[in-house]
Amino acid sequence: MSNTTTTTNIPARAWTGRGLARERWHGYLFLAPTLLFLAAVIVLPLFHAFWTSFQRIRGLNSTFVGFANYVRVLEDEAFWHSLRVSLGFVSISVVAHVVLGLLLALALNKITFARTALRVLFLTPWMVAAAVGATIWLWLLEPQFGVINYILQSAGLISAPVAWLGTPGTAFAAVTTVEIWRGVPFIMLLTLAGLQTIPAEQYEAAEIDGATTWQKFRFITLPNLKYLLVVASTLDIINVVRHYDIIGIMTGGGPAGATEVLPALLYNTAFRANRFGEAAAIGVLLLLMVLIFAAMYLRITRVGQEDDRR
Amino acid sequence: MSRNALLAAVAVIALAGPAAAQNRVTIQWQTPNLTESQYEPIWKQTIAEFEAANPDVKVEPILVARRDHWTKFVASAQARQAPCVVAVDLTTAAAEGYLRPMDDLWAKEPASFRDAWAPEMLSAAKWEGKLYGLPNWGGTYAEVYNRELVEKAGLDPKNPPKTWDEYLRWAKALTGPDRWATSILGGKTDTTTRVLLTWIWGNGGEAFNADMTEATFAKNPKSLEAIKFYLGLFTKEGVASPAPTTTNYLEQTVLFAQGKIATMRNAYWSIAKVIGDNPAIEGKMFVAPMPANIPNAPTLASVSAHSISQSCRYPEQAWRFIKFDMDKKWAIQRAVKANWMPLRRDLVNEPELKADPMLAEFVRIGANARSYPLPHPAWADIAVNDIVDAVQKALLEPARTDEIFRDLDVRVTRKLRQ
Repeated sequence: MSNTTTTTNIPARAWTGRGLARERWHGYLFLAPTLLFLAAVIVLPLFHAFWTSFQRIRGLNSTFVGFANYVRVLEDEAFWHSLRVSLGFVSISVVAHVVLGLLLALALNKITFARTALRVLFLTPWMVAAAVGATIWLWLLEPQFGVINYILQSAGLISAPVAWLGTPGTAFAAVTTVEIWRGVPFIMLLTLAGLQTIPAEQYEAAEIDGATTWQKFRFITLPNLKYLLVVASTLDIINVVRHYDIIGIMTGGGPAGATEVLPALLYNTAFRANRFGEAAAIGVLLLLMVLIFAAMYLRITRVGQEDDRR
Repeated sequence: MSRNALLAAVAVIALAGPAAAQNRVTIQWQTPNLTESQYEPIWKQTIAEFEAANPDVKVEPILVARRDHWTKFVASAQARQAPCVVAVDLTTAAAEGYLRPMDDLWAKEPASFRDAWAPEMLSAAKWEGKLYGLPNWGGTYAEVYNRELVEKAGLDPKNPPKTWDEYLRWAKALTGPDRWATSILGGKTDTTTRVLLTWIWGNGGEAFNADMTEATFAKNPKSLEAIKFYLGLFTKEGVASPAPTTTNYLEQTVLFAQGKIATMRNAYWSIAKVIGDNPAIEGKMFVAPMPANIPNAPTLASVSAHSISQSCRYPEQAWRFIKFDMDKKWAIQRAVKANWMPLRRDLVNEPELKADPMLAEFVRIGANARSYPLPHPAWADIAVNDIVDAVQKALLEPARTDEIFRDLDVRVTRKLRQ
């Protein structure tokens, strides 16, 4: 305790002493297990992926080919098609996650009846493993035996079974819907937590001033949730961009490439076409896009600066 | 016994146990069929009896769904951890260096063992002159009909269609409300490609030139005509079940088992699957040669071979297990219970096999068969990706079929020549 108090007034050059060096060394020692773990599970695979992206892999043999894999990927129309599909999939999913998540959180924050039960119910899609959720939807949407077609046919809304995952438009809509179904609870949970941190006095003051519900939402709720929503949506974008499980299980990227988002293209290039070098190049490009996007997004929304001012 | 002697004895016992355990090696075994219920009792018994006869070897089955089989194998092969005994796309795996040549092990076997395989059967398991697998079971494709639905439609089961015109006439008669004559396979597995090839061959067409350096799906008019006729059963004639782009072997057999489709083009193993799905259908099916527009049209014979992976540390034990699994006893059980046709020529006259009329018919039809997979290193990719994508596109945009398959020819030819 006394150390802390003392060191705050010591000039910077005093931090070069032997005692401090020892303290720093201790700090690194304490950090070492975590750093080693992170190096093993993140840094090494990342470097390996970079290295692989410069190789032409033929089974167990590889040859260094420089940027040839990147050139091939960028010249391939399949990559640009997948990029377009990814952009559509991510933007629709994330906007829906945020809007629906916010609306659900607002509703769950207000209601008193069966509050806990409803919160658990709405969280269920997020608690279920993505692979399990995708498999459930796969069978619900099955053209011949699926419950959805059965209900729609029974209600007279369709005359013949619809191949939801068999035509490009409906397949894209189906996988996006499932992604929305699965992702909304994450945003809802964060937003609900955020709503509960807003001081009640702000709303009370607004009510005394005669603010409408919309005005309270616009000038109290949203500003208070801004930071949270920016961080949550950025995390959500990163999460959705790299998703493969739902699409992998439900469509595998088909039909005819209609749902082949970049991770699906990466998977198909590696494991179906056996072109690991090109797949690694797609992975690196995907990583770069996510990093650039996250940096730009956080900069545009100026979350960091606002935080510093506080 | 002195105290020291007692301690020594305890030490010996303590060390001997782990030593014995260390001598027992574990070999993993991965095929796409281990998860199929009709085969499960057989492979479990095979492993149990092999381990009893070979106490130094433990066999660990790797259970992987069919659609993930290749992915799992490639991932483990890349990590140099592939299961010792595998059944995979042999040419592609051998060309990629994932498999160990087996010629040395094969050469040590007596002539009586080696003579059980016809040279042409062994050639299907070779790549660049080396033996990479031992064929152990297969299946020839034929047309399987639901007798009840055929009779209900006023058709004669004893006189199944021989030409495409006759087939179309049958198909129209077999189609009714919520019931179709057949299914078009367009799902993302190579079963789509297998069935498409049978239609092409049945019209005298070819999908590739003789040395597999050029694709001729659109270039060969007979091939394109066959593709259009087959896909037209859904897009034009309306006699095929909905959702062909998501229909694979699984959906097709379920539809057949439920009586939603009256006929399916499939291999002998589909019979066991259908009966497993609907036991009431047993005895109500019949099989016939696939209708064709040329005399003596070949069918497709899928060959499954057991291979040893390059990363296997115990090839001698793996070979021992492969030989054990090739035994007549298991081949007969596989044929009778799982409907997998034996590929050893010394099994043709086994009484259990001859007693099954449906198997006999499949064997007869298979006398004129072309082996599958096709021998090219890029085959796994071409069969699952390129051809299936083209089929899906043509099902979705029938008017563009010519253009789609012309593009396919260009793309696949490029891959064949790489």
